[in-house]
Amino acid sequence: MPLLEVEDLRTYFKTREGEVHAVDGVSFEVEEGSVLGIVGESGCGKSVTSLSIMGLVQSPGRVVSGSIRFEGRELTTMSDKALEDVRGMQISMIFQDPMTSLNPTLTIGTQITETIRRHLGLSKAEADKRAIQLLEEVHIPDAARRMRDYPHRFSGGMRQRVMIAMALSCNPKLLIADEPTTALDVTVQAGVLETLDELRRDHGMTMIIISHNMGVIAETAEQVLVMYAGQIVEQASVIDLFDRPEHPYTEALLGSLPHIDDHDPRNDRLATIPGRPPDLLVPPEACRFAPRCKYAGIDDCSKVQPELREIRTGHWVRSRHPASERSAEPVGAR
Amino acid sequence: MSEPEIATTETAPRQSPRGLDRPFMQRRAEFEEALARNASARGAEAGASLPRASLWSDAFHRFMKNRASVVAAVAFLLLLAFVIFVPWLSNEDPYAIDFSQAYQSPSWSHPFGTDGFGRDLFIRTALGGRVSFAIGFAATFAIMVVGIVYGATAGFLGGHVDNALMRFLDALYGLPYLPFAIMTLAVFGTVNFWTMVVALTIASWFTTARVMRGQIITLKQNDYVRAAYAVGAKGPRVLYRHLLMNTLGVIIVFVFLELPGVILGEAFLSFLGLGINPPKASWGTLAQDGYTAYATHPYIIVIPSICIAWLILSAFFIADGLRDALDPRTKEA
Repeated sequence: MPLLEVEDLRTYFKTREGEVHAVDGVSFEVEEGSVLGIVGESGCGKSVTSLSIMGLVQSPGRVVSGSIRFEGRELTTMSDKALEDVRGMQISMIFQDPMTSLNPTLTIGTQITETIRRHLGLSKAEADKRAIQLLEEVHIPDAARRMRDYPHRFSGGMRQRVMIAMALSCNPKLLIADEPTTALDVTVQAGVLETLDELRRDHGMTMIIISHNMGVIAETAEQVLVMYAGQIVEQASVIDLFDRPEHPYTEALLGSLPHIDDHDPRNDRLATIPGRPPDLLVPPEACRFAPRCKYAGIDDCSKVQPELREIRTGHWVRSRHPASERSAEPVGAR
Repeated sequence: MSEPEIATTETAPRQSPRGLDRPFMQRRAEFEEALARNASARGAEAGASLPRASLWSDAFHRFMKNRASVVAAVAFLLLLAFVIFVPWLSNEDPYAIDFSQAYQSPSWSHPFGTDGFGRDLFIRTALGGRVSFAIGFAATFAIMVVGIVYGATAGFLGGHVDNALMRFLDALYGLPYLPFAIMTLAVFGTVNFWTMVVALTIASWFTTARVMRGQIITLKQNDYVRAAYAVGAKGPRVLYRHLLMNTLGVIIVFVFLELPGVILGEAFLSFLGLGINPPKASWGTLAQDGYTAYATHPYIIVIPSICIAWLILSAFFIADGLRDALDPRTKEA
């Protein structure tokens, strides 16, 4: 049995103009011990998916339908009280901006031990010991002394490490990292990712890593979901996805990464994807990527939504024109 | 370190200063090692050299830098000391009536003069201050409790509860302050310390509730609140630890903004004759006593008025300094 099964998840946000379909029929599974990457541009529903799993979608948003099963237990219908015990103990999450994720008026020691004491029922001294050990695990130098410091005395990378320590304090089975390195310097990013990976191995943890950065996904994930406009458009193992991307969107995403190997990026403009994602207030009946897709138009791309289909073992794609089925050059060539 | 050697002859083995001849992996390992050494050295240094500072000591330092506020704090404490210690140390009887001593102007034996009954105004001003301060502190405390509970409930629960609570508050806001307090006193029928506190509280807790609600709603949006939920914190815990504790600064500032308002309200009601019953006195009733003789003996009304103004001004300047000191955004210390 997979650790986490998400089936046909739909999370909508009520607005004055109508309901925004932020997550619109997302299904996936995460096997125990694996690392799932979710990638996509801003507003594609990555974060809302993870918040839905945590049961932290805030009004005016709500999970409209679908099921989320963790170790076979349904989370969507669970009482708030039971959910509180799942959060932290079973599933934990770290957020994008470490600068604002810590309470500025409490020492980091207090913030870590509080979680530990509440969930594991340890004494103050035991909790302190565990917190110091956690801080050492995330490579915070001089951990015992830093316990008494307030968050403003930590740098961004350090704070993210503290957040990781906090998230790991009760040995959760699943860690969701929502853009864990986006707010950090590139040099710090690598360190934080490395620590995450190390901890995952040590604790045998399952991880979902969400990013808009293909590089981060390539480095960390085993399975990858590509999301676009609230839907999964491609799903494959990381190697297959990067070697043989099928969906035109994935191709375009990879194509828009800067390369330094074959030519001088300063002389070239970066490739971009023209157009904008569709309005999720009234999601089109058609393929959601059709207006931006250079292969669309030869058949009913603009009329019927393509289904997610398995194009080869373990590689799923939602497109009528996946790379391996194309014979000719794009019709409406740019 | 020696000068970098530049290969001059073709026959000598090329020795570039950056050691580009060594294999890549070896250089990388060396570099990483150096980096790690550097980092740990820096870490130890940083930990040792920076002074440890807590929120409160930081705030204290910032407050001490604001000269107006420090002066105000000293003035406030002086007034408080006057009110507390003078009745203790003086052996003057504040209630002894002696018409031969009536309407004495300020002198060495009676620094603030005497009133129409020949009572010493120095000690009566101090005693009246006790009453004013006591009512002020008690009512401010009650206002804070009521306002915080009401506002935090509305802000934390949100939705329909918030809406209902706030509309009720809006309706109360429509009522004018003084008639509201007078009405409350009329309902009680008597005026004493406690009815006065209740009347003032009922008439002036609205703003505190509103501000608290706004604070809680703002704080609720913070990432660390979401992060706390994500690691499994429970609602009441989040409300207390992450929301209420973070409004502490605002609450402290508000105490010093509310206190003068309440004391002024008490003085006002007393001046209108709705105050503490004689022969006891507050600054308001003392001023009212002076009102009847202000043309001939102005000091009787001027002295309690100065006390009230002194208190209000110093409290406002303290509040101002505290607001700057407790705002974590004013970081430079």
